[in-house]
Amino acid sequence: MKNVAKKIYLVLIMLFLYLPIGVLIFASFNDSKILGKWNGFTLKWYTQLFENEAILNSLRTTIFLATLSAIIATVLGTLACLTMNRMRKVPKSIIMSITNIPMLNAEIVTGLAFMLLFVGVGMSLSLSTVLIAHVTFCIPYVVLSVMPKVQQIDNNMYEAALDLGASKAYAFVKITMPDIMPGILSGFLLSFTMSLDDFIITHFTRGSGFDTLSTKIYTEVRKGIKPEMYALSTLLFVTVFVLLLLVNKKPAKVTERSKHAKIKKYIAAIASIAILVVGIGFGVTGGAGNYTQEVYVYNWGEYLDPEVITMFEKETGIKVHYEEFETNEEMYTIVATGARNYDVVCPSDYMIQKMIENDLLEEVDFDNISTSDNIGQQYYDRAKGFDPENKYCVPYCWGTVGIMYNKTMVDEPVTSWDILWNEKYKDSILMQNSVRDAYCVALSKLGYSINTLNENELEEATQLLIDQKPLVQAYVVDQVRDKMIKNAAALGVIYSGEAIYMQRENDDLEYVVPDEGSNVWIDGWVILKESENKEAAEKWIEFLCRPEIALMNFDYITYSTPNDAARALIEDEEIRNSIIAFPDNTILERCEVYNYLGSEGDDLYDSYWTRVGAADSE
Amino acid sequence: MNNDKLIDLVNISKSYGKNLILDDLNLYVRENEFITLLGPSGCGKTTTLRLIGGFESPDTGKIIFDGKDITELPPNKRQLNTVFQKYALFTHMTIAENIAFGLKIKKKSKSYIDDKIKYALKLVNLDGYENRMADSLSGGQQQRIAIARAIVNEPKVLLLDEPLGALDLKLRQDMQYELIRLKEELGITFIYVTHDQEEALTMSDTIVVMNQGYIQQIGTPEDIYNEPENAFVADFIGDSNIIPATMIEDKVVEILGTKFKCVDEGFGKNKPVDAVIRPEDVILVEPDKGIIKGKVTSLIFKGVHYEMEVMANGYEWLVQSTKLVPVGTEVGIDVDPFNIQIMHKPESEDEEAVALDE
Ligand SMILES: Nc1ncnc2c1ncn2[C@@H]1O[C@H](COP(=O)(O)OP(=O)(O)OP(=O)(O)O)[C@@H](O)[C@H]1O
Ligand SMILES: [Mg+2]
Repeated sequence: MKNVAKKIYLVLIMLFLYLPIGVLIFASFNDSKILGKWNGFTLKWYTQLFENEAILNSLRTTIFLATLSAIIATVLGTLACLTMNRMRKVPKSIIMSITNIPMLNAEIVTGLAFMLLFVGVGMSLSLSTVLIAHVTFCIPYVVLSVMPKVQQIDNNMYEAALDLGASKAYAFVKITMPDIMPGILSGFLLSFTMSLDDFIITHFTRGSGFDTLSTKIYTEVRKGIKPEMYALSTLLFVTVFVLLLLVNKKPAKVTERSKHAKIKKYIAAIASIAILVVGIGFGVTGGAGNYTQEVYVYNWGEYLDPEVITMFEKETGIKVHYEEFETNEEMYTIVATGARNYDVVCPSDYMIQKMIENDLLEEVDFDNISTSDNIGQQYYDRAKGFDPENKYCVPYCWGTVGIMYNKTMVDEPVTSWDILWNEKYKDSILMQNSVRDAYCVALSKLGYSINTLNENELEEATQLLIDQKPLVQAYVVDQVRDKMIKNAAALGVIYSGEAIYMQRENDDLEYVVPDEGSNVWIDGWVILKESENKEAAEKWIEFLCRPEIALMNFDYITYSTPNDAARALIEDEEIRNSIIAFPDNTILERCEVYNYLGSEGDDLYDSYWTRVGAADSE
Repeated sequence: MNNDKLIDLVNISKSYGKNLILDDLNLYVRENEFITLLGPSGCGKTTTLRLIGGFESPDTGKIIFDGKDITELPPNKRQLNTVFQKYALFTHMTIAENIAFGLKIKKKSKSYIDDKIKYALKLVNLDGYENRMADSLSGGQQQRIAIARAIVNEPKVLLLDEPLGALDLKLRQDMQYELIRLKEELGITFIYVTHDQEEALTMSDTIVVMNQGYIQQIGTPEDIYNEPENAFVADFIGDSNIIPATMIEDKVVEILGTKFKCVDEGFGKNKPVDAVIRPEDVILVEPDKGIIKGKVTSLIFKGVHYEMEVMANGYEWLVQSTKLVPVGTEVGIDVDPFNIQIMHKPESEDEEAVALDE
């Protein structure tokens, strides 16, 4: 009886521990993109995975990084153990605890600390900063696994080797090393594993154009459902699982060793050396290449057809380091602190204004961008709202903010923002998780300017948002798209560009710009003052303004393009004349561009927005 | 045996922390000599060997090897090999790899090494153990491999630290015989450590008796056994009757109030001394035919002989004899003058373990 209970308990624990992973693995073999639906077994996510150059690149980086940091950490950690072992007891135990503390420290603290340190000493974040951070957090694991072995070192054996004529170095390598080798090996494997699956510290210390598997998975998953990422995560899990099994495996006690065993040992040694060499080689070839120039691009997530990068690299011989951000504010923090160096960035209107005011931008030399005339003059005119002399920005995408709704769930006509306050749709409403977009909704509903600095108006809008909070299912950014495609919500605030894509995926969705008005936004390319590759950056913009390239991007991201030449190339008449993609002037006249409100204005909005966040949702 | 000094320890002192382990030790070893350090546990035997081997350096004094000062020479540069008290086999290697270790460093050919391994394993009676892992062997087997590993290098001097301690009696006697044969064959000088006095007596050319870091006596096994220079040596080398006595004059000693004839001279007149009489030298006779009278108080059978205690003149005499005399029997005690060994009496307790000048 007792035994049965014990077994049930164990099974429950196991389920509890492994169920989430099980679901992930299951999903990675599911032919359907939708989680709850089983469409049959497939390996296509895995094959797609290995065709994706960006992912393979991050795989190379990950292996390279893990190998190198594990090697360095193992060497340093082992030396530290040998030195500590010579010390007297008290200082030894003190140092041991000091080295162990970083292991228990919250990773986010360690990551943040590293970032501060690197930025503080003026190191720009790059592969080497990540490497340093990884080596540092791996060393305690090496010490932890090597130290017990070092303490057990049999000095008699070492002396016997000297006695038989061995030099100190030879005796160490031949006698002491094999003794502590199991510890060194498990230290190495542990470090390798830790480096392999680290996300937080890497996230904080990585530079531009640098992705490991974990940061890649993170950025990809943020953008929406990606079964390839399930496959990748499954592979990562399996790798880590196997590595940890290896670490914990106790070698069987050998009483006799045949010639055969010796050969096996050699094969194992050669194999591991081969793996190391391949790992390092991978990293090196992944890092270098035969490019003459390079350009660091910082763009919104899913805001470019990846094929365009390949074409650009092939044509110009310029290596593109491509990075993505999720909000203007995130981008601004990174760029303004100089944590990472970028050349060309694609912010939104008000952010461009802020960057101009803070002297972060370089004037664009339009003479070098022959294709800039493909952008319609009306967009340059609108851009004057934030770039008065059209000196800094080349418009890239534009659109409106509106309501996406599901016709099967909403039966009344949607013409006003008011519907987002309708109790009927409690828990079926998705709001944008960004200050300006949230206030755009509330201020528009109230009939105020979306750039208001009037505290009374803001107070009113804030109250409105707090009142709305219990009705809102979630405040999200990119996930509005996926949730609405999956019929997981009835109404969502969204950018017009997403609407076309969503309608393609789900016929029941419809987009409106409410009658009270809304925001019209423009995202455009700007070149940073700090840029060291201005020429390459200009070439990048020139390339993106070509009609056929702009068309590729339009097809891929479905956001309205300001490129008139590209629009003329759109074959599908319905889309070429779509009022979602290219709203007519009656709609645009109701809409306002965001302005930069100054840092005081930003603070004001932020403080109100914080109040919304802190408010009780019930 | 050559009379040249091969190894010479001159005024060696060594302490660990505040503990003085060796105090002004002087000792030399001749070429091809079998010299044994004998003494109780903790007396400094291993320490002495470690100094010779180069694993410790002395606080004062120097070590001369073949006329050269090697005090500062590291172990791997010294032409000697050690069989360690704790075996110190390389646990992650096979037996063959253990034995080949020194030879590989000397860059011997593979066939030479293979031959040596075979030869050495045969010698220590462990043929066929080549591929066993060192830590899968029993203590005794490991000890023999340790010997094999040292011997294949054909060193000038072999240091052996209780190399037979873990073996049973039979195997130990076999190995004693093998070691002596080996020494003769290879012409190696042996410095041997044991606390087994019988082993020391059987194997050595020279025995060094040590106690608490001081050399008590150096001599041939016969000297040490028959003419111990002090009570410690006498006691340590087999059981003895050590009886306080007075030297009346040359060749006459008074033991327990009775005058005995002896052969020692030069102690002066009426001087207090110790008389040493080996148990096997005490002869039991008819009560009236002995020098003094006594009564058997205990009896133990010891295999080759009986061991008895006889109470006579207030002293419990230890007696060994092949003849059984039952407890309670009145007996007379007789001793051949040659078998009475007279020793100076130490003037104080401290002096019991002092360095004796040679
Ligand atoms: N490394 C050391 N540190 C401190 N004391 C030591 C050290 N090595 C030996 N000693 C001390 O030195 C003394 C002599 O030790 P040594 O090993 O020479 O004795 P030994 O005669 O070989 O004894 P045994 O017959 O038990 O092996 C002992 O009291 C021992 O405790
Ligand atoms: Mg010892």
